[in-house]
Amino acid sequence: MTTDELEQRLAQQPVALLHRLARGRIHRHFRAGKRRLIELLLQHSSHNRAGLESDLQALLEARHARSEPGEHRLHSPPPDTRKKAPQQPPLPATIESAVSLASWLEGIGVPAPQPFVPDPWQTEALSAVSETDVVISVPTGSGKTYVAVEAARRAMEDNRTVIYTSPLKALSNTKYTEFSRLFGSDKVGILTGDRQENGQAPLLIMTTEILRNLLYDAASGEIDIRLDTLGLVILDESQYLADPERGVVWEETIIFCPSQAKLLLLSASIGNPQDIADWLTSIRPTACRLVRHSKRTVPLRAGYLHPNGKLTPLFRSLGIPYGHPAQLHPEAKRLFLEYEEETLPSGRSRR
Amino acid sequence: MPPSIHPVDLVTALRHKHLTPAIVFLTSRRACDEAMETFDHADLVLPPVRQAAIGAALERVIAQYPSIAEHPLIPIVQRIGVAAHHAGHLPSWKIAIEELMRQGHLDAVFATTTLAAGVDFPARTVVITQSSIRKSRDFTDLTIGEVQQIAGRAGRRGKDYVGFAVITPSPYIDLNVLTKGLTGQPEAIDSQFTISYPMVLNLLKAHPHEHIQGILAKSFAQFQLNQRAELLERKLDLVQTQLEPFGPRVCTDWITQWQTFDHVRKRRPARHQTHRSDSPEIAARLSFLTPGRVVGLSKGRGIVLRQYRSKGQKNSMLTMLRPDGAVTECPVTSVREVYDRTYDCAEIPTYPWCSAETFDRLSEQLEELPPRLPILPILASPPAEPLPDAVVQSLGDFPCPTCSSRPACQKDFPTASRLRQEQHRHTKSIQALRTSLWHRFQERVEVLQTFGYLTPTTQLTADGEWARLIRIDHSLLITELIRADAFTGADPSLLTGVMASLAHDDDRPGAFPRISPGLSSLLRQVRKLAESLSPHEDPPLLRADVAALAERWVAEPTLTWIGLCRLTTMAEGDIYRLLARTIEFLSQLQTLKATHPGLADAAAEALALIRRGVLEELP
Ligand SMILES: Nc1ncnc2c1ncn2[C@@H]1O[C@H](COP(=O)(O)OP(=O)(O)OP(=O)(O)O)[C@@H](O)[C@H]1O
Ligand SMILES: [Mg+2]
Repeated sequence: MTTDELEQRLAQQPVALLHRLARGRIHRHFRAGKRRLIELLLQHSSHNRAGLESDLQALLEARHARSEPGEHRLHSPPPDTRKKAPQQPPLPATIESAVSLASWLEGIGVPAPQPFVPDPWQTEALSAVSETDVVISVPTGSGKTYVAVEAARRAMEDNRTVIYTSPLKALSNTKYTEFSRLFGSDKVGILTGDRQENGQAPLLIMTTEILRNLLYDAASGEIDIRLDTLGLVILDESQYLADPERGVVWEETIIFCPSQAKLLLLSASIGNPQDIADWLTSIRPTACRLVRHSKRTVPLRAGYLHPNGKLTPLFRSLGIPYGHPAQLHPEAKRLFLEYEEETLPSGRSRR
Repeated sequence: MPPSIHPVDLVTALRHKHLTPAIVFLTSRRACDEAMETFDHADLVLPPVRQAAIGAALERVIAQYPSIAEHPLIPIVQRIGVAAHHAGHLPSWKIAIEELMRQGHLDAVFATTTLAAGVDFPARTVVITQSSIRKSRDFTDLTIGEVQQIAGRAGRRGKDYVGFAVITPSPYIDLNVLTKGLTGQPEAIDSQFTISYPMVLNLLKAHPHEHIQGILAKSFAQFQLNQRAELLERKLDLVQTQLEPFGPRVCTDWITQWQTFDHVRKRRPARHQTHRSDSPEIAARLSFLTPGRVVGLSKGRGIVLRQYRSKGQKNSMLTMLRPDGAVTECPVTSVREVYDRTYDCAEIPTYPWCSAETFDRLSEQLEELPPRLPILPILASPPAEPLPDAVVQSLGDFPCPTCSSRPACQKDFPTASRLRQEQHRHTKSIQALRTSLWHRFQERVEVLQTFGYLTPTTQLTADGEWARLIRIDHSLLITELIRADAFTGADPSLLTGVMASLAHDDDRPGAFPRISPGLSSLLRQVRKLAESLSPHEDPPLLRADVAALAERWVAEPTLTWIGLCRLTTMAEGDIYRLLARTIEFLSQLQTLKATHPGLADAAAEALALIRRGVLEELP
């Protein structure tokens, strides 16, 4: 095979096969797109062309042999060798049918205004937080702020102070504006390293680092905040616990949070919220309540937009096929392969 | 075919399908800015009513944040209803764009992925153009959690029936990462607990030394270590039941007897010497560096395929599988971290020391490892006593040849010995998992004692009392600088310059404004001290260009924000963040009023001077 032939041969193969070929040859091959992968494979094989060609041949034969028993094999996810892969829901019965673009685009619009009715999980979290610590792990945009606001309101009505922390100053500022509008500006204060605005207010907003420092000062007896009246500590975006640099601050804050104050941890979906709740239960006076769900309130659909402007659903199903990443819409699959072909390095691209 | 869709075409397509408002996530700030430029002459102009509405909304935000009044993007925002939003912009600009978006005035915002975390910024549609993200210097694949944070911005509650995540390709995109991210379960959270010097000082200020272990035990880190220990304890139980048939025979502990015999039999004088050259730390590691173990090397990671001793080498050697499928040999000493992760490994006696399937699988697993792995804490035990000569000699008349249980022992020994070793390994690991935090704490204590922040009885010294108030990165360097009188008599601008170079941890290059001789010599001193402290604390980047920039801002109170921005090639958002971080550092120095009034005053003065213009708009 000449280099050109080999390149063409490679270009005809699906990316998955190229990745198998690259395994053990190319550092971090999984990061590369098809075009780059072929480039790298060719580069690499300048030392050992025969090896690459024979491996390619072997893979092609193996694939051929595998595809004989039945077409459906192509659609099932590859056998997973890792042991703790989550149980996958059964495949939908009609594998061949795929949603049309028209129905994918159906139903766009603005719902009529509805009276506000709290979701069951919001009510559950609110009634729990008056008794004990609560960890909330729900998808982005579900309405965690409502729980924070109502819990803060109730604590303040009880003459207790509330601290709300966020990981980012920008977010603190947004919440400061939002909470001032809701509760009145005299009720809300914000603390930064060198400034206090309305530092005596019953609802204080700060970054988690500032709270951690306050707790250290309180522990060593230099109290400059009324920790004895503290009723509620809200830690927003608690998934920052996993941040390599700053995660430790969340742990310190939780460890040193006064025991009479309730902790309310708001977090986006994470893999092990039960662990966090169990941890809190193990170190705090009352058993922590976990409120979690993974269903988005506004359903999500995924699409694929080709650079030429052509839009198609990304998956065969209308919604997201959870647990089945391989269920691509045939049109999206075709267009993406085409994209990879056309962005090949050999100058064959039309532009 | 262009490698990715043209921004104008993208917005046209989204509008046409009623998929606006949309957030378009791009790889870099530059890509966002370039996208904006393409709208300069685009005929996507909004109807006058909407333009007027945007104008009115902008005016309201500008009233609050005057710094954005002259922003170069305003005409495009108003005419076309698109905007850019990334870390290179001022916070006030970002707030303005978020506000316009919330009020529904914009059709598209071009943003970098940093936006996805924690900003209240929903839209009907998110457009994803990449599958990796720049973290520190390298690109890494988006995690499932990150993909879902991004997709989570799509679909506004109460304003949309459905949300859309639209993928449009760009070169090097890996569709698998995104489809996995959309359909998968987010990753579990792993504790990132570290023990810092200020943490040690503050803990010892408030609690007696003997309570600390109990406090550390309350961390999520210990909770997770315990989970791992419990897992090992179950394994240990299993090993112990398996060991039951190998209980006492003619001698009570025949396994040890045989092990000693085996050990002596195998020992050759030359090997004996090389063995002794391993330090206790290395020796402790050896039993964990077995085939299948994942380790961190000075560059990247590897999986151990084989452990061996080679004649010319002082140290034990490892055969290592590296990420590109390469097989390399390296001394045990080059292993930086031993991770708490092992894979099954079918060993074979010839190169590459494991079966072909294992090799293939391991290469794959090595590449799919998450960016962070739990480190296996390993306790070093003092070097093993050499066997007393008496024992060695008596082994010559090893009693076994005449013992009645010898055939049984001989038959069982390989299994029993393997189990016994496993038992030891598990016991050691469990002990390490239970006590590793405490050991790390003790290590910090020792350093603080050496430097004189703690007394030998772990009380805070006079220096410790104030040093515990410095609770930021590079705290040891900062307190050592203070003790070395480096800042005595330093004026506010000089102090600001040094703090800026300590606070800035970004390696994005900037231009180099003139640096004053005073600052330059002070930075030299800082650098020297940082280097001498490097065994105890990672040295900061100490960039002179950012130091000079911050110094100028404080030294020249008449310098305007625009003037400052012209001095450098840094984006204004980066300058803002630099000064905001510097404010945090200075405000810590300000807390040292009682012990270092001069320094605290200089810091207070510096803070008053920094806080002007844009830096006063937000608390
Ligand atoms: N029960 C409800 N019914 C209708 N709308 C609601 C309800 N609860 C909250 N919302 C609305 O949902 C939107 C998103 O809420 P919110 O910002 O609190 O989400 P979040 O969970 O904090 O998300 P993020 O992860 O982005 O921080 C808000 O506009 C809010 O008014
Ligand atoms: Mg929120």
